Amino acid sequence: MTGDAVKAKNGSMVAYDGQMAFKKLSGGGEGLRGMVTRRITGEQMTVMEVSGHGTCWFADRASEINLVSLQGDKLYVESSNLLATDAGLRTGTSFTGLRGASQGNGLFTTTVEGSGQAAIMSDGPAVVLRVSAQYPLTVDPGAYVAHQGNLRQSFQSGVTFRTLVGEGGGEAFQIRFEGDGLVYVQPSERNTVAGEV
Amino acid sequence: MTYGTPGVVVHDPMTLPADDNVNSYTFCVELKGTQWFLQKGKMIAYYGSIDFNGIGHGRLDRLVRTSFHSPLHASDWVVAEGSGKMLLADRAFDVNSYDLDQGNLTIRAGNLLAFQPSLALKQSIVPGFLTLIGTGTFVAASNGPVVFMEPPIRVDPQALVGWADCPSPCHHYDHGYMTGLMGGLRAMTGLGGASGEEHQFEFVGAGTVLLQSTETLMAEQATGAVPQQAGVPGARGGHTGPAQQPGTPRLPGQLGDLQRRFGL
Repeated sequence: MTGDAVKAKNGSMVAYDGQMAFKKLSGGGEGLRGMVTRRITGEQMTVMEVSGHGTCWFADRASEINLVSLQGDKLYVESSNLLATDAGLRTGTSFTGLRGASQGNGLFTTTVEGSGQAAIMSDGPAVVLRVSAQYPLTVDPGAYVAHQGNLRQSFQSGVTFRTLVGEGGGEAFQIRFEGDGLVYVQPSERNTVAGEV
Repeated sequence: MTYGTPGVVVHDPMTLPADDNVNSYTFCVELKGTQWFLQKGKMIAYYGSIDFNGIGHGRLDRLVRTSFHSPLHASDWVVAEGSGKMLLADRAFDVNSYDLDQGNLTIRAGNLLAFQPSLALKQSIVPGFLTLIGTGTFVAASNGPVVFMEPPIRVDPQALVGWADCPSPCHHYDHGYMTGLMGGLRAMTGLGGASGEEHQFEFVGAGTVLLQSTETLMAEQATGAVPQQAGVPGARGGHTGPAQQPGTPRLPGQLGDLQRRFGL
């Protein structure tokens, strides 16, 4: 860094050299309105602003870190998977519908918008999958980490009477992505409602 | 508009490998109207149209009859069917595929992720293990990369993933170190230097032994109960031969052996 700043998850700094200042941004650093929205939607994140000269290293519980560069497009990521962003990127919340509920992450997700770089965390290195018009993609909610671009997501449920008698297909809930963009999946599944049926 | 980050590989159905690893932790299976067995919940994403059905699905009866011989274990398995490319992963463990050609391989039940129906899955006589017989590909997870060893070899119980073609896995105890009164005390208390390696599995004969590079076991996966019959290892309630203290196996050096050792 040369005098500029990044936003990062509180307490994720592991080392730095040079001169750094760490400032906590209450309620996600989006002002009062953002703070209230985050409270209501359950997408709280504790963020700090790091500025100064030198190199700063971030890490969290030895998760894999994936860099995403944005050129004016929007990244949708769970607040628990977001490690750091350039200070120039705007963060916000958006409604995800049933997908969020099936992941156990609530109905809302965090968005990162603008131009710059963001670091997202995953359990094991994320696989980046391109979605285009002729290739829609279906993802297990437990393995979904983030997506970017112009994508429509729809929620698929395969719950039938078989699920109820314990003979389900094991993949009862799925998210289908259509449109044009990228989806990040991790080689591991969170414990979700969907994983149990 | 193109998305993506310089230096980051982006996969689409054209660039994804067919039946090969995407990275060390993710495996891609290509389905062309074919079927695969997989453990519940190990699919992370797929392109194309793929159906997942429980083993109990009526239409799959014939398939299950020919290649699935672990009836009480069936609720943990599903059949993927359709066309497209499917990504498999398991809790960020290393995954790898193995080809069998008219062969047999026995693997710890928790490590097996998926297999082609041209292979037959059977419960092993060794409790907690499954055996695959036939020709085809299967995918297995391990804690750290797998190494292949040739018998004769003695391996640490926690590092064992499976074995192929060699019929005689057995227990091996380091008797020279563990017998006698002092040896017994050492084994029981750890005082005087128990190395923790007095017990191994021994393999002899021709074949291959698969080891993982840590001694952290993957979670056990129930293989289902075996028929309650006399002579079936692991079956409860059957006649178990001469009177033995129930429960614990008797290692040399256990106090129960002392009277025999002193000729009492």
